[in-house]
Amino acid sequence: MKKAVIFLPLLASAFLVNPAMAKDHPGKEYIEKNGYQGPSTCEECHPDTAKKFLDTVHWKHASKVANVENIDPKQEYGMKNRIYTFCNGNDIVNNLKETPPNEKGKTKLTGCNTCHPGDPGDQLHGVGSSGPAAESSIDCLVCHSSDYDYSKRKPMKNEKGQVIMGQDRSVKAALAVGKPSVKNCMTCHETAGGGAYIKRGFVFTKENDVHAAKGMVCVDCHKTKDHKIPTGFDPNNWASDGSRLACADCHGNKPHKDAYINNHTARIACQTCHIPRTGGAFSKDFTTWTKMADGFYEPTTLKKEANETTPAYAWFNGTVANTPHFIGPKGSRKDKKSKIYPFKIYQAKAFYNKVNGQLLSMDFAQPMATGNTLAGVASAAKTLGIKKYEPVAGWQTIYFASSHLVTKTKAFSCENCHAPNGVLNFKALGYTDKEVIKLTNPSIFFTDFVKKQKEKEEW
Amino acid sequence: MKKRVSVVGLVVIVALAVVSLSSIASADEIKMVGVITKIDIAGKDAKTATVTLKDNKTEQSITLIVNDELTLDKFKDHRIVEGDEIRCKYEIRDGKNISTYFRKTAGC
Repeated sequence: MKKAVIFLPLLASAFLVNPAMAKDHPGKEYIEKNGYQGPSTCEECHPDTAKKFLDTVHWKHASKVANVENIDPKQEYGMKNRIYTFCNGNDIVNNLKETPPNEKGKTKLTGCNTCHPGDPGDQLHGVGSSGPAAESSIDCLVCHSSDYDYSKRKPMKNEKGQVIMGQDRSVKAALAVGKPSVKNCMTCHETAGGGAYIKRGFVFTKENDVHAAKGMVCVDCHKTKDHKIPTGFDPNNWASDGSRLACADCHGNKPHKDAYINNHTARIACQTCHIPRTGGAFSKDFTTWTKMADGFYEPTTLKKEANETTPAYAWFNGTVANTPHFIGPKGSRKDKKSKIYPFKIYQAKAFYNKVNGQLLSMDFAQPMATGNTLAGVASAAKTLGIKKYEPVAGWQTIYFASSHLVTKTKAFSCENCHAPNGVLNFKALGYTDKEVIKLTNPSIFFTDFVKKQKEKEEW
Repeated sequence: MKKRVSVVGLVVIVALAVVSLSSIASADEIKMVGVITKIDIAGKDAKTATVTLKDNKTEQSITLIVNDELTLDKFKDHRIVEGDEIRCKYEIRDGKNISTYFRKTAGC
């Protein structure tokens, strides 16, 4: 009854609101009057949302994964528990904690969620936790407020000495709620992997992406339902909320005016022509960390700016090859479900277990403080219950999908690929010598190109 | 007279060298890593900010002018705050240090 008393006037006000006030959140008056207490305030109008949110990838950092080989389809996988060489740690071994002192006697509060607090909770209840306490710890505003004070979203110790993530639960932030903006998403997603644009190597700005230039925001493509967010297929990104998105969802299978360009869409992914650039980290060494000026250490990283490098191309049918030394796309020319996609190739050195050949995980607290990477391996092994191990350095190659930095004006044209030493290595992609000769000669596009060129010149 | 001419010539040469060297320095991009000690930004609509960094290597304070929208937005909502370590590049234009690259060093 109490909820109905509050809810009905709010609902009425939502419909009666005049156009000038259309941008105001209908719950504005309620929040002004009652303050903001976290999810319980949101749930006055959005009941059961918190409980449902606990079943999403943004909370769990994991899901069942059906498209990756060599894993158990009944188990859930994601940043929560994966061991791979982009992070080398995960939420389990790198939960929020205080490092040992470094040589200057300083400590740091660290953990996966200090870099990318993708799990919008206070971290006290752990990634993937459930129950009323977990529900009440959700930080709704970090994704929904356009006036969030990010200085409050940092690791700190509570009165019990536990390391938690702070939140901005101010009325000011709560009064600015709405659809997540690019900034809400990119605050976490641009800094994943240890720094700005490191992991995926893209920026979502009008200068770098045609969708951003049109004023679109992330959730215009990643259309969310019940906080479940669709994603594309990516050899590196395993967890999903069960729904997928693709360029064709909006653009269809014949997106071009020219039929001869549309002929490509059966076997060439849109990204291949429309995302000619990539960037970010292309290599890391987790066995030897680099000492920084503040006396702490970081994984040694080779990186480029977003948009600074070129991708590699491979067939991909949405399924993923997964071995200790390789995570990449599966697919072939013969497989009709496969298309040629662009990828960022990333290679990293880390410790493997000589006993079974598996990649070992690393707790970052010890190497961050002292540079002792084997101490980090030992700590992670203890956490994961691995008793028998012998660390040896080895390399892993990972293919990252390249799905942003979309361009219309700088997209590849016929001559970029259909030329000797062009963008695509047709031979490596499975074409015969005879086909390669045909595919790398202007004769296959000459007539159409002349027509197009004439149209351009005529205006 | 001859001596006076050569002194004047020397002064001119030195002056030209100074001017030419300073113009080279102005065109160069200077790189540094340092910790923010002060951010001055005038409200939500500010189009510029003045930031003071303490250079990790020299421990000297450097004041930079930051004009790029993305970084200004990060000052406004406190994604970048005093105490953060920054990797930056700047150019000297009209005697002012103008930031051309401003990123948190960030770690794992």
